[in-house]
Amino acid sequence: MIKLVDVHKSFGRQKVLGGINLDIEDGKTTVIIGGSGGGKSVLLKHIIGLLRPDSGQVIVDGVDIASLNDRDLNEIRKKFGMLFQEAALFDSMNVMENVAFPLRAHTKKKDAEIRQTVAEMLKAVGLPGVENKMPSELSGGMRKRVGLARAIALHPQIVLFDEPTTGLDPVMTEAINELIIETQKSFELTCVVISHDVQSIFKVGHRIAMLYEGKIVEYGTSEEIRGSSNPVLRQFLSGSLEGPISVM
Amino acid sequence: MNRISAAVDRFGRAVLDNIEEMGRIFILFISVLMWMVRPPLKLRLIFKQMEFVGVKSIFVVVLTGTFTGMVMALQGYYGFRMFNAESLVGSTVALGMTRELGPVLTALMVTARAGSAMAAELGTMRVTEQIDALSVMATNPVKHLIVPRIIAGVIMLPALTIVSDFMGILGGYFVGVPILNINAGAFIKNITKMVDLGDIYNGLIKAAFFGLILSLVGCYKGFNTTGGAEGVGKATTEAVVLASVSILVSDYFLTAIMF
Amino acid sequence: MSSISTEAKVGLFVLVALIILGYMSFRVGEKGFGLKKGYPVHVVFDNATGLEKDASVQIAGVEVGRVEDISLKDGKALVTLRIVPNVRLEKDVQAKIKAYGILGDKYVDIVPGTLGEAYIAVGGDIVRTEQQADIDKLLSELGTIAGDVMEVTASLKNSMGGAKGEENIRAIIDNTRAITEDLARIVRQNDAKLNLMVDNLSEASSEMRRTFATLNSIVEKIDSGEGTIGQLVENRDAFDNLNQTLVSLKGITEKINRGEGSIGKLVNDEDTVDNLNSSLKSIGKSMDGIDRYVSKSEQFKTFLSYRGEYLFDSGDGKGYIDLTIRPKEDKFYVLGLVTNPNGRLTVTDTTPAGGATARTETWERDELLFTAQIGKRFKDIALRGGVFESTGGVGVDYFALDDRLQLTFEVFDFGSDRNAHLKTYAEYRFLKHIYLSAGWDDFISNEGGDSPFVGFSIKFEDEDLKYLLGSVPMPN
Ligand SMILES: Nc1ncnc2c1ncn2[C@@H]1O[C@H](COP(=O)(O)OP(=O)(O)O)[C@@H](O)[C@H]1O
Ligand SMILES: [Mg+2]
Repeated sequence: MIKLVDVHKSFGRQKVLGGINLDIEDGKTTVIIGGSGGGKSVLLKHIIGLLRPDSGQVIVDGVDIASLNDRDLNEIRKKFGMLFQEAALFDSMNVMENVAFPLRAHTKKKDAEIRQTVAEMLKAVGLPGVENKMPSELSGGMRKRVGLARAIALHPQIVLFDEPTTGLDPVMTEAINELIIETQKSFELTCVVISHDVQSIFKVGHRIAMLYEGKIVEYGTSEEIRGSSNPVLRQFLSGSLEGPISVM
Repeated sequence: MNRISAAVDRFGRAVLDNIEEMGRIFILFISVLMWMVRPPLKLRLIFKQMEFVGVKSIFVVVLTGTFTGMVMALQGYYGFRMFNAESLVGSTVALGMTRELGPVLTALMVTARAGSAMAAELGTMRVTEQIDALSVMATNPVKHLIVPRIIAGVIMLPALTIVSDFMGILGGYFVGVPILNINAGAFIKNITKMVDLGDIYNGLIKAAFFGLILSLVGCYKGFNTTGGAEGVGKATTEAVVLASVSILVSDYFLTAIMF
Repeated sequence: MSSISTEAKVGLFVLVALIILGYMSFRVGEKGFGLKKGYPVHVVFDNATGLEKDASVQIAGVEVGRVEDISLKDGKALVTLRIVPNVRLEKDVQAKIKAYGILGDKYVDIVPGTLGEAYIAVGGDIVRTEQQADIDKLLSELGTIAGDVMEVTASLKNSMGGAKGEENIRAIIDNTRAITEDLARIVRQNDAKLNLMVDNLSEASSEMRRTFATLNSIVEKIDSGEGTIGQLVENRDAFDNLNQTLVSLKGITEKINRGEGSIGKLVNDEDTVDNLNSSLKSIGKSMDGIDRYVSKSEQFKTFLSYRGEYLFDSGDGKGYIDLTIRPKEDKFYVLGLVTNPNGRLTVTDTTPAGGATARTETWERDELLFTAQIGKRFKDIALRGGVFESTGGVGVDYFALDDRLQLTFEVFDFGSDRNAHLKTYAEYRFLKHIYLSAGWDDFISNEGGDSPFVGFSIKFEDEDLKYLLGSVPMPN
């Protein structure tokens, strides 16, 4: 259970989050939508404790992670997996080492065991046998899938996806979406997905939240969102230039 | 009037920024110390960094050390010849290398080679969110990335400095004895007579300190990179400049304290 | 991946660095090695300026210990030395503080004592010390010397100045005049003695002959070696001729001996001696001319020289005896004799009335030729003119290396029937009175007289002549 209470965040004079209130349901996929540079990634980083709010609370399983020290925060983080926007694979390590990294860091598994787990994970994301490739040798989609494998290697309860499908071709987008849905189902994960892609939003998300000007302006099930009359949401979903969201 | 106050304002802010930066570097150093004593130490990472900072710098250090010794011998020779004291060239080279040039030149070369690489590597990791990824995987980036680099810097710099000292003296010997015809016995005798163990060891302490500075500054700059590829470039440049300046300035104070 | 692991590379590098460090530490630390085990000895110096702890203690330049401690004791410096165990110091060794050069470090030098003396015990004292002349002391000593010099000048001034001083100087000059007059008288009455002197010279010549004989045997060896030199001197006649020359030289000296020579006449020339005498007198007369007197008397010099030349091509020897009188630094007269075994070829064409021209060639062998020249010297160059080998000619000498080296060029004998006689040679002084020369005689001769030559000469100054004269028994 993740709960954000009146979270504020500014970088210098730039106010990014202006009082976020959001409940994220367990075992469901919540999609956060919003304009580019709107603070979605910043919001996600608050959930996992990479950023601390200027004010407000981020409660994970009843604990306000904003007030935790590093050690306790690390304990909380072991429940999480995160897929970064650009996958953030360690480019000094090959795919094998990347996926094995959390296993080596947090389990006492033997090397052979780790290899086996890595192979399983890679198979799960549809990339069997790429263990010895370096991240630079992979395409953007492959990288994201390896990133996903790394994110779910420790079988976390919560997985955060930062724009998993941005910049991918439609087929690859579809494949990733399927992957998210499948893994969510099979591991009964709580997923938080950031996305722009309207098609993906309704396919993947059980719940949808709209972030606009530092606030959650709309939150509900996909049906509720589809039927929403919020002009911001309407403009975002239709991709129209007419409306409250100014492009300039 | 306005312009003057603006200039004063800018100057003041620059000073404050610098002091703040020093403070941040110091805080980073403290956290490095804390993470250093917290097991487990990742020996593999340390060795990797030692290889990068130390083993891969051998060539450039040997080269600079040798040529520095050679040119010192040459310059010293012209000076000492006026007093018919050519045999003092050896001890001048040896003292200069062990006390000053060995540590400082080695530190500057390693700063250029490894300090910059540290800043660039960590900077890239920062802007591509690899450092965030580390944190997310409940791995402390300071412990995982910075501690091995600092340890490598502190251990490898003295090792490289010994090599540099030795090569410098050797270079001085090869210029002094076969080329400038200084008596070999007197050359070596004067070295052993004038150089103390303290000269060598204090030089190595300096080197360790320089190793700390260059790796700390490199890591700090890389770790706090913002602004994409351009930011990485900026961080690298700043790391080299700040580390070099710090090395030279601290060298003065270290010399004042030690000798 | 390379075959060597990261850990191995790092380990190897650190190991190498440690080995180098160990080596350097050892070499640098070496100086104190083994000295710790030594025994202490004390020594008290009045002043231990510049001496430092750990300074070297040496005997004959060999390090035998270190200065362990320096402290103050009764206003003096108590220095504790640590001497290596295998070096024992006799009771009467002497310790002094020395420096490596003027600016160098100070060290303690120990002068060994008498062998067989008892040894200084562990912790004992070196009693004998000597303060080394340091710069301060040197300067103060210099000061004393300057004081002494001042005293001397002062007393000189006392004795020279005033009427008494004048009297003294007059007496000195009177004495000098008396001596010169005596000398003149000696020279006037000395025909016999001079002859004796020349006898001595002739003996020297025979000595020379023996030398040449030895040389001959050496050359014979060369000869058997068939070398170039061997071939050059193959002609044994050369040596016979040389011997002949020397024999004839002996003849000449004998002639002089019998009063027939010209040298005798020369030194008997009343005018020369009178001139000499009068000039000395006139100088002696002027009271204020003391400086001039001194310098003049130094300037006036007489030289007697003998030079022998060996001509390679003809195998002949040529001998010169010259008397050079140099009244002033830049002016000189040369009078001498030349023996020329070659002689001079004189061609006379006689045409009897109506008959064919008859040519008679007369060789004047073993003729004595004369030298009489006036010369002037301009710095390093001297020009000579006058009689060369009994003919008119001029010559130029170039002096170098403080007159050790003389390069000479002479032209004489401008006969219409032949090319002029040109001669050039270099002469080098390699011992006090002994010169070696080499050159080319008559090198544009159209009579086949040209020849390279080597020679050697002996030159005496008047000082040496006085000595020679003195060594000759002088009947009064
Ligand atoms: N660490 C940071 N320091 C300063 N500014 C930041 C930082 N992270 C994000 N921002 C700023 O906050 C805003 C929101 O960024 P982000 O959340 O990445 O947008 P997006 O919604 O596209 O993911 C941007 O203007 C960005 O410049
Ligand atoms: Mg983003």
